[in-house]
Amino acid sequence: MSNWERVWTLANWQRLLFGDLFTRGQLGGIALTLTIGLLAILGSTLIGAIVGLMRNSPRRSLNVPAMIYVQAFRNVPLLILVFWAYFVPPALGFQISKFMSVLIALTLFTGAYIAEIVHGGIKSVAPANIEAGRALGLAGYQIHTKIVLPQAFFNMLPALAGRYVVSIKNTSLAFLIGLTDLTEIGKQIGARLMTAPLEVYLTLLIIYFVVNRAISALVRLLEDRKRFNRLFLRI
Amino acid sequence: MNTDWSILWGEAGWSILTGLNFTLKLAICSLILAVSIGFAMGTLRWIGWRWAEPICWFFVEFSRNTPPVVQILFWYFSASYILPQPLFIALRDFGYEMGAAVIALSIYHGAFFSEVVRAGLNAIPRGQLEAARALGLGLGQALRRVLYPQALRILVPPLVNEATSLVKNTSLAMAIGVTELTYQYRSIDNFLFRGLEALTAVTVIYFILCLLMAGIGNLVQARLSRHIHARSATVAAGSGLS
Repeated sequence: MSNWERVWTLANWQRLLFGDLFTRGQLGGIALTLTIGLLAILGSTLIGAIVGLMRNSPRRSLNVPAMIYVQAFRNVPLLILVFWAYFVPPALGFQISKFMSVLIALTLFTGAYIAEIVHGGIKSVAPANIEAGRALGLAGYQIHTKIVLPQAFFNMLPALAGRYVVSIKNTSLAFLIGLTDLTEIGKQIGARLMTAPLEVYLTLLIIYFVVNRAISALVRLLEDRKRFNRLFLRI
Repeated sequence: MNTDWSILWGEAGWSILTGLNFTLKLAICSLILAVSIGFAMGTLRWIGWRWAEPICWFFVEFSRNTPPVVQILFWYFSASYILPQPLFIALRDFGYEMGAAVIALSIYHGAFFSEVVRAGLNAIPRGQLEAARALGLGLGQALRRVLYPQALRILVPPLVNEATSLVKNTSLAMAIGVTELTYQYRSIDNFLFRGLEALTAVTVIYFILCLLMAGIGNLVQARLSRHIHARSATVAAGSGLS
């Protein structure tokens, strides 16, 4: 029996896909990786949109806190943030699950990057658009929601796709605080077999590769102007 | 909870400093390798030789789309199957954790650097290359004397961003037991139960490192483009448009 056959058994694939969901009721594997990744993507896009808009506002009371947030979370490794979220709350007296601490750290970290993308995206819309909107008599919020943001969002798509892929990759840090995500399951399989590390880790790399390519392909579907307009602008 | 910040001036402070030493070594080694890989691979893809293209594409896409931690684990656990035996034995006697981390980080970030370099070269009009070739410069000379100097000016901000993220990613090397900053924080937390103090110190150190990188980037950028500003100022003054 070759090493590949030893690694690619049905039981191993089941664990890689769902972790110990059916034996111990714990979600794990690709399912957990995708859950954390997608929740973090949603949360960080929300935070990034809010903070990015705050950074663009002329009021100092809004743009200074936004800048501090971005600088504070972009200049520290994600692993350190995960440790802050996991080891510090218990010392201060409240409990936090592993899942929540990874999710919070990843969301805040990615949120800072997305805020910068949003900030740049809004700046990339030519100022003549805003003047035209004002000349047509639109209110400030109308100019933002109808003119600036749709164009900015379209310009941001490639950068956003890159960031989403990075945040899926970053979920692999969850194994360092003992969550059974895809990487941890792979490590366990490797430790149990002992003789086939090359095959096990190549399998992990291939799985991550396929998942991430799929996500960037999905976002790339939106980069078609017609499809984008139909979905988001109803034109 | 009670904190005792004075531990940072004792043994714990020393172990954090040794951690910083390892972080810097790891960062500098992998930065040099990653930038070299990036320039080689990026230029190769920009030239677009047909036989090199699929290999480079696969290398870049594969290392960009997989997590750095898994790459570090991969190189750590399966290097003895991949690397030539004498090299592996030399690295093992030296302490293989560091070697695996350097290999994985430089390949991972090398892929990102190569995309940056390719984008920078693509941003220069093709006519520049053709003009250089027409003047009798070889491809290497044209790259070195005409294309890289122009590309570097555009490239500095993204290169610095990538370098900063490399410095941040050195923290992942703790997964295989390289005794760098993050590892030292974990060991202080385990042995002295002073996690909060050590974590704060380590966070501040990473923050300062990243800000330093950004500062150096700004200096380099200013230096590389100083004559452009000077020239455009003279042009503007000469044309009476200033």
